[in-house]
Amino acid sequence: MKTLIIENIDPKKIGELMTVSQKFCEIPDIIALGDGPVPGKFGKVWQTPKTVAANLISSVVNIIQEEKYEIILMSVSTLGTGLAGPLSATLSAPVVTEVTAIHPDRVVERPIYGGKAMIKQKLESTPAILTIRRKYFEPATLDGTTASTPLSLDADKVRLVAEKNEQADGIPLEDAAVIVSGGRGVGDKDSFALLQAMADQLNGAVGASRGAVDEGWASPTRQIGQTGKIVAPDVYFAVGISGASQHLAGIANSKCVVAINKDAEANIFNRARFGLVCDYKKILPLLTEAVKEKR
Amino acid sequence: MPRVPYWNIDFGIVMDLLAIPVIFIFLYGFYRQWLLIRQGKMRVNPDVGKMIQGIAAFQPGAFFVRGILNEKLYRKPFSGIAHGFVFFGMAILFIGTNLVILNVLFGLPVFNGAFNQWFMAFGLDLAGVLALCGVVFFLLRRAFMPERLKLPAARKGFVIACGLLGGILLTGFILEGARLAAGSLEIGAFAGNLIAAGFIGNTHALSIHTVTWWIHGLLALSFIAYIPFSPLVHIVLAPVNAGFADPAPGVKMGVIDFSSFESEDSEEAPLLGADKLSDFTRKRFLDFASCVWCGRCQEVCPAHSTEKPLSPKGVIVTMAERLSKGQLDEPVWDNISMEAIFNCTTCAACMEACPVSINQPKTIMKFRQNLVMEQSKIPELMGKAIASLEQRAHPFFGTGSGMAEWRKDLDVPFFEAGETEYLLWIGCSVTYEQRAQKIGRAMVNILNKAGVSYGILEDFRCTGDPAKQMGNEFLFAEIAQQNIEEFSELGIKKIITLCPHCYNSFTRHYSKLGGDYEVIPHGSMIQMLMDENKIKFDKKPQRITYHDPCYLGRRNGEYEAPRALMSAAGNLIEMPRHKNESFCCGGGGGNYWAEETGRRINQERAKEAFDTKADIIATACPFCLLMLTDGLKKCTEETKAFDIAEIVASCLPDVSRSS
Amino acid sequence: MHIVVLAKVVPDYLVPSMDFELKDNRAHERYSRMLGLYDENAIETAIQLKEKTSAALSLISFGSENDVQFLRKAAAMGVDQLILIKGQSDDAAVIAQNLMAAVKTLGPVDLILAGQQSADMDRGVVPGILAQMLEMPFIPQIGYIDSKGGEWAVTQITATGKRELEFKGPGVLSITSIPENVPRIPVVRAIFAAKKKPVTKLESINQGKMALTELGVEIPKTKSICEFIDVEDMNAAAKTLLTRLTEERYI
Repeated sequence: MKTLIIENIDPKKIGELMTVSQKFCEIPDIIALGDGPVPGKFGKVWQTPKTVAANLISSVVNIIQEEKYEIILMSVSTLGTGLAGPLSATLSAPVVTEVTAIHPDRVVERPIYGGKAMIKQKLESTPAILTIRRKYFEPATLDGTTASTPLSLDADKVRLVAEKNEQADGIPLEDAAVIVSGGRGVGDKDSFALLQAMADQLNGAVGASRGAVDEGWASPTRQIGQTGKIVAPDVYFAVGISGASQHLAGIANSKCVVAINKDAEANIFNRARFGLVCDYKKILPLLTEAVKEKR
Repeated sequence: MPRVPYWNIDFGIVMDLLAIPVIFIFLYGFYRQWLLIRQGKMRVNPDVGKMIQGIAAFQPGAFFVRGILNEKLYRKPFSGIAHGFVFFGMAILFIGTNLVILNVLFGLPVFNGAFNQWFMAFGLDLAGVLALCGVVFFLLRRAFMPERLKLPAARKGFVIACGLLGGILLTGFILEGARLAAGSLEIGAFAGNLIAAGFIGNTHALSIHTVTWWIHGLLALSFIAYIPFSPLVHIVLAPVNAGFADPAPGVKMGVIDFSSFESEDSEEAPLLGADKLSDFTRKRFLDFASCVWCGRCQEVCPAHSTEKPLSPKGVIVTMAERLSKGQLDEPVWDNISMEAIFNCTTCAACMEACPVSINQPKTIMKFRQNLVMEQSKIPELMGKAIASLEQRAHPFFGTGSGMAEWRKDLDVPFFEAGETEYLLWIGCSVTYEQRAQKIGRAMVNILNKAGVSYGILEDFRCTGDPAKQMGNEFLFAEIAQQNIEEFSELGIKKIITLCPHCYNSFTRHYSKLGGDYEVIPHGSMIQMLMDENKIKFDKKPQRITYHDPCYLGRRNGEYEAPRALMSAAGNLIEMPRHKNESFCCGGGGGNYWAEETGRRINQERAKEAFDTKADIIATACPFCLLMLTDGLKKCTEETKAFDIAEIVASCLPDVSRSS
Repeated sequence: MHIVVLAKVVPDYLVPSMDFELKDNRAHERYSRMLGLYDENAIETAIQLKEKTSAALSLISFGSENDVQFLRKAAAMGVDQLILIKGQSDDAAVIAQNLMAAVKTLGPVDLILAGQQSADMDRGVVPGILAQMLEMPFIPQIGYIDSKGGEWAVTQITATGKRELEFKGPGVLSITSIPENVPRIPVVRAIFAAKKKPVTKLESINQGKMALTELGVEIPKTKSICEFIDVEDMNAAAKTLLTRLTEERYI
């Protein structure tokens, strides 16, 4: 099936969509947003530095109609979400957002009720639009680059005034192999330094639960969970996190969860691979030290 | 020679005549107090029997025991005894003086024989000496004030009052000494004899007597005139306030009738809660006027003693100052912070400690009701709990545990109309909090073992108590009405509660909304089963200390049933603060959902319990259990806090601890 | 100025996992119903905007007649009028069409706000479809909104930070949760007043279904056995954990 990826230039995101596209075609085409060379091998490549979804719609619609794409793939982001609905309406196309699995016969799966249930739906017509939840598909390795032709756009409907990156420090949560994450049980803002020290030793990132973010102990960009970021590190340290279902939804694909909590009854232990029932303030410095020794 | 009144005094009638305006000043002073108090709103409550002036029904028993005998004062032995010396000393001297008047008017023979020797001489001398000791104690204490008197402010006027009293007593002794020195010493009058023999020579006795008589008389009259215009006003207001205090223990917020909001013009509906002095009732005005600023409330307050902004004394003092300045309609929020109002755990330790029978929590709760129901102001976490109560009828937002989990692998029958005797009311924490769920499981095991006819509801709802405690009376009323309807449909008459907050709601508030049930706290139920030999268990070699939940103990007077159970299960040892003087766990008043500033109340209490070296820290309230469990983590890694039902269940043969 | 906020009444989105049951492929009807999580953020944002700009504020919901009692909360918070489209579909295109019809009954509107996603289907796609149908721009994940010299200045919360965007004319925004839009608790007076606010009920149209077939809904079985590490000796515990993580090749 003829597949089009629409994505910002980001090897991880494009890599994941590339993996998904293999289920539908051999070589997909792409509309790449942002500056610089487009990584990976594609059929046709359009490129524009503009990234505000609302300004892209008519051009993207034209391309889809002209090239008769059957599957449109985007990841769940302000771009993907911003395009999915309008594209579906213009193209009278079925749209499924936050897809987590793709089965044969154009059957896709996605979570509903905050991850407490999964729904399977069959795409009955083309083109069909899918947004893919991040960290559910292994990103494909992108070899080389493909030359692009510029995407022609109408005048902007929405003007981008400023873009502030609040995650300048440290590794992006989505890409970290190790995440040390703190919840309300951490107790105060200053104690997040203990988590940071440990994350630094492991080349990891610091995350936070909604509770800790609500308290103002961590920036909202650090929030992990259904309402924050979906992450899938190799090891996820949940420190003082009780394990509400909304948070568990965000770490569903973590390979190994280590729960450190004073409360032996905390729900997080139901999800954890390893559990330590103790005061994190005592164990974290020892762990950090042990990692240091090992290196 | 018997004593002769007006001996050695010319124109003594002048003093008698002066007494007439003094009595008028005294009466006028109290009339002014009444004018202040009557600015308060009249209470309208058909449940209260014979209401006087819209204040309350008068309770002579409380008037005598708490007002006159001052039972509560003696919890602080030094100031209590000193106050007792002054009060009873002066009372006896006052009686002595009146006997003299009766002697003058009617020739009552008080100066003869044994009565003169033992009462008029020895008795009055002793009373005077003790009163003087008391006065000296109070003057010294005013010079070196403890914090509770100083903060946030000390009441002025006590030094003048003590000075007057001291002056009256000293001149009284000099007067007596001079009289005896001029005549002859008298058996029994030990103090007078000492002064006569030791200090007053025969030569000046007559002139000293004359001068001192006038000074003594004038001081006494000044004192009487000063009473209603000084802190001494409490001599009258405190017993009156005790007499008007609600006889049932605890805060008693009552219920609010929201029907006037239903009408077309809801703008006209009354203000909810209070945001200024004039919103309070005459009883509260009497509270404010009676307060002597002694700070005993502040000292026992769990919020204040852990460095939080709330001081119950501060709140009452603010209102008392407004009352004296006539500031009836200025909103209080400049003087009383929202944070302080939400610090209150509604534990009622303050009103338990108050020697003049003030209901501090009620004033605080009125402010809280106004913040929540009129201004939509509430700390964020409490707001979330309230929102959850409104949406899903329980306050445990985001919980990972629920109905299916608490009764997993357990045989729990549902209540069947006409079949089942008791409703086992589970409550929100036992349903939705993992640790508290074990209380429900333990109780089910006990009831099953005893073969009690009981059942639970299929659908779960909270009693609404957390909403009420957080000031949202409206939400409480809505939830309560739904429960009452459901109970009526099922024909529920007897309810076993696992949580004192549920118990308090059912007994105190549901009855006022039309739901009358026989409600039994689980401790009393288990004790009943034990007394009837339906369950038997052996004592284990374990030391148990018991934490009194405020809503079971101070608020409802149930101290003994849980203790009886714990004495049967092990050796009961008491914490320093127990029974009616118990210290709150910190979770009351919705503060389970608060983010505490200052030190943490639950850690203070957990440490107190831990320091008893008990093996087990027992309690009878799920919220206390959760707060203590959390607080104990600072003292020990061991799990030591358990509910009384868990402890009993663990002693039962064939019921495993893991239940 | 006229602002519209879209909201959906959903089954309790915080039912503990163990209590969660399905009936006919949907959450069991015994769960309490309530306004969606982000819908409340959107309503709060809309009310703050209304207070700033003195706009009229209408709420449109697609659902059953029984939902009105839950929508009243929005009225108590400050929404001026409620519009309910009586319908049952879960199809995003059908819902969007009905919403469009309802918006058109209001005449010109200046801004349409919706929650980031409904708390049952978790799709976040309806506002985008609606925007396109109304030929308005759609911007998802908005935190802050300001009205500046006839234009809307909005802040989009992205995965990596914030984006400030401006546009002229009406638009559809989906609202995410930020500390400033925690829904207010309505005061009692407002709750009673809300009972008197107008509710318009519209019939739905059930056409234009999306070409999607629902095959089934399942509750995922997650099993995890937690290995508790002895913390008697903290030093040893730290070492044991590291060894175990390395053994199982997580690190």
